[in-house]
Amino acid sequence: MDTNQVLINYVQTELAKGRKSEIKPDDDLLSEGILDSLGILQLVSFLEETFDIEVDDEDVVLENFMTISAINDFIQSKK
Amino acid sequence: MTDVIIIGGGPAGSAMGCYLSKMGIKNLILEKEMHPRAHVGESMVTSTTRIFEEIGFLPFMEKAGFPKKYGASWHEPGGKEFYINFDEFQQPGINQPYTYHVDRSKLDLHLLKHAQELGSEVVQGVNVQKVLFNDAQQAVGVQVKFAGQLIDIPAKMVVDASGRGTVLGRQLNIKQSDPIFNQYAVHAWFKNVQRSQNDHTKDFIHIYFLPVKRGWAWQIPITDEITSVGIVVEREVFRTFKGNFEEYFNHYVKSNLGLSDALKDAVRVNEFKTEGDYSYSQKSFVGDGYVMIGDAARFVDPIFSSGVSIALYSAKYASEVIKTAFEKNDFSKEILMPYQETLKSGADIWYEFIRLYYKLLPLFTHFIQSKKYRVQILRLLQGEVFNRGEVEVLEAMRNYIQKVEKMENHIFHNQLSNIPIDEIPETILAQD
Repeated sequence: MDTNQVLINYVQTELAKGRKSEIKPDDDLLSEGILDSLGILQLVSFLEETFDIEVDDEDVVLENFMTISAINDFIQSKK
Repeated sequence: MTDVIIIGGGPAGSAMGCYLSKMGIKNLILEKEMHPRAHVGESMVTSTTRIFEEIGFLPFMEKAGFPKKYGASWHEPGGKEFYINFDEFQQPGINQPYTYHVDRSKLDLHLLKHAQELGSEVVQGVNVQKVLFNDAQQAVGVQVKFAGQLIDIPAKMVVDASGRGTVLGRQLNIKQSDPIFNQYAVHAWFKNVQRSQNDHTKDFIHIYFLPVKRGWAWQIPITDEITSVGIVVEREVFRTFKGNFEEYFNHYVKSNLGLSDALKDAVRVNEFKTEGDYSYSQKSFVGDGYVMIGDAARFVDPIFSSGVSIALYSAKYASEVIKTAFEKNDFSKEILMPYQETLKSGADIWYEFIRLYYKLLPLFTHFIQSKKYRVQILRLLQGEVFNRGEVEVLEAMRNYIQKVEKMENHIFHNQLSNIPIDEIPETILAQD
C-alpha cells in the first residue's frame, strides 16, 4: 500500500472517527477539524512506529501536518 | 501534660497521631468539628497505601467498601478518552494495583478513631483560637475555646494540621497565595451518572477537559450509586458568569461531550458546594516548637488527587523529626528543618507537574502516549514525588514547551496558556 493510502486509512479510522467520510490527500486536516491536538500526537506516535522515523518536537509544525500529502513529504524527508 | 498538641483531626492530624503514638509520644488531637463531617477531596493516589499500611489502617480501607480506583481517565472536549492503569508500574512496597475513592466524612471519621485506638487523646468540637508562644518565640501550647471558656493547654510541641483553615499560618501572617493558580470549584453528589462507556474505566476517576483556560471537571465514584462531580475554572471565569449554580454547572457540563453524556440522566442528591482561594504555601513549615502538615502547610491544585497523599506523607516525615526532637529534648527549628526540605521538594514536584500540565494541555496527552515517558508520568500520578531528585520527564516537558514558545508555526503554539514556567514564583516558596 502506498504511503498516502496508509495515512488516509489511519486518519480516517483512528482519528477522524466519522467526522469526514472521505479524506483526500490535499484536504486541510487542521482547519477542517479532522485532526485535533490529541489526534496529532497520536499520529506522531503512529508515524514513528510505522515508518521507523523519529519525529522531533520541532517537526510538529503546521507545514508538516496540514494535509496527507504534506505528512507524506515530511516522512520522505525524514528517511 | 501532653507531649504534642495536634490541631485538626483530618487525615494529616490523625496520621500524625498514629505515628506519634507508635513512637510512644503522647499526643492530643483537637478537632473543631464533630466527625463525621463532609469534606472535599475524595480521590487519592496509590502512594497513600504505604502509609495506611504503616499505621495499620489498610485493613479498614479494604473492609470499608470504598470503590476501588484502578486508574485515571481523561476526556477531550470532543469526546476522546485516554487512560492509565496503576498496574502498569509496580510501586515498591505496595501490593495492590489500586487506591480508593472515598466519602471523606467516613474516611476521616475512621482514621480519627484509629488514631484514638492507637493512643491519641481526641477532643472534638473544640476551636483552637491560637498557638501560644513563650518569650523566646517558641510554641508552647494552644488556647482553645470550649463551652464559652478560653483555656490554655500547654505542650512541648504543636502540630498544625488545621487544613485550609491554616490556624498557624494566619496567626503568623506567613500564608502566601499562589499568584498563578486561583481556581474555583463548584461540586455536588449525583445519582444515575453513566460513569463510562467503557466497562474497564467505570470506576476510574474521570477528568474532563473544558474548553476554557485551566478548566476541568472531575467525576469520582463515592458509592455504587453516588458520584461526585465538580467543575473547576479560574475564579475570574466563575465570577463573571451570569446565572445561578445550577446554570453555571450545566453550562460547563454541556461543554464536554463525554461529561454531558455521563450526566444525561443524573440527579443531584445534595447542595452545590464551593471551594475557592485555591493554591497557597506558608513561607515556612517549621519553627521553634511547631510544624505544619498537610493543607495547613501548603495546598496545590487538586487536578492529580494529590491532597490526601501529601497530608499523610507530611505527617510521616514530620513525625520523624518530632521523634528526633524528643530524643534530643531540642524543639528548635533547626532540628525540625529536614522535614521542611522533604515536604517542599515533594510538593515542588507536584507543583511543577501541575504547572506544566496547565501550561500546554496537549503535552500531557502526548507524554502519556509516549513509550519513553509514559511510565514516568504514571509514577507521578501514583504519587511518587518524595525523595526523588530530578524527574526526567518534567525536564522533557519543560524543554518541549520552550520549543513551542519559540516556534510560532508549531501546531500547539496558540494553545499555550499564560502560566509562567521560567521559575517558581518567589512568593510561594517555603524559605528557611
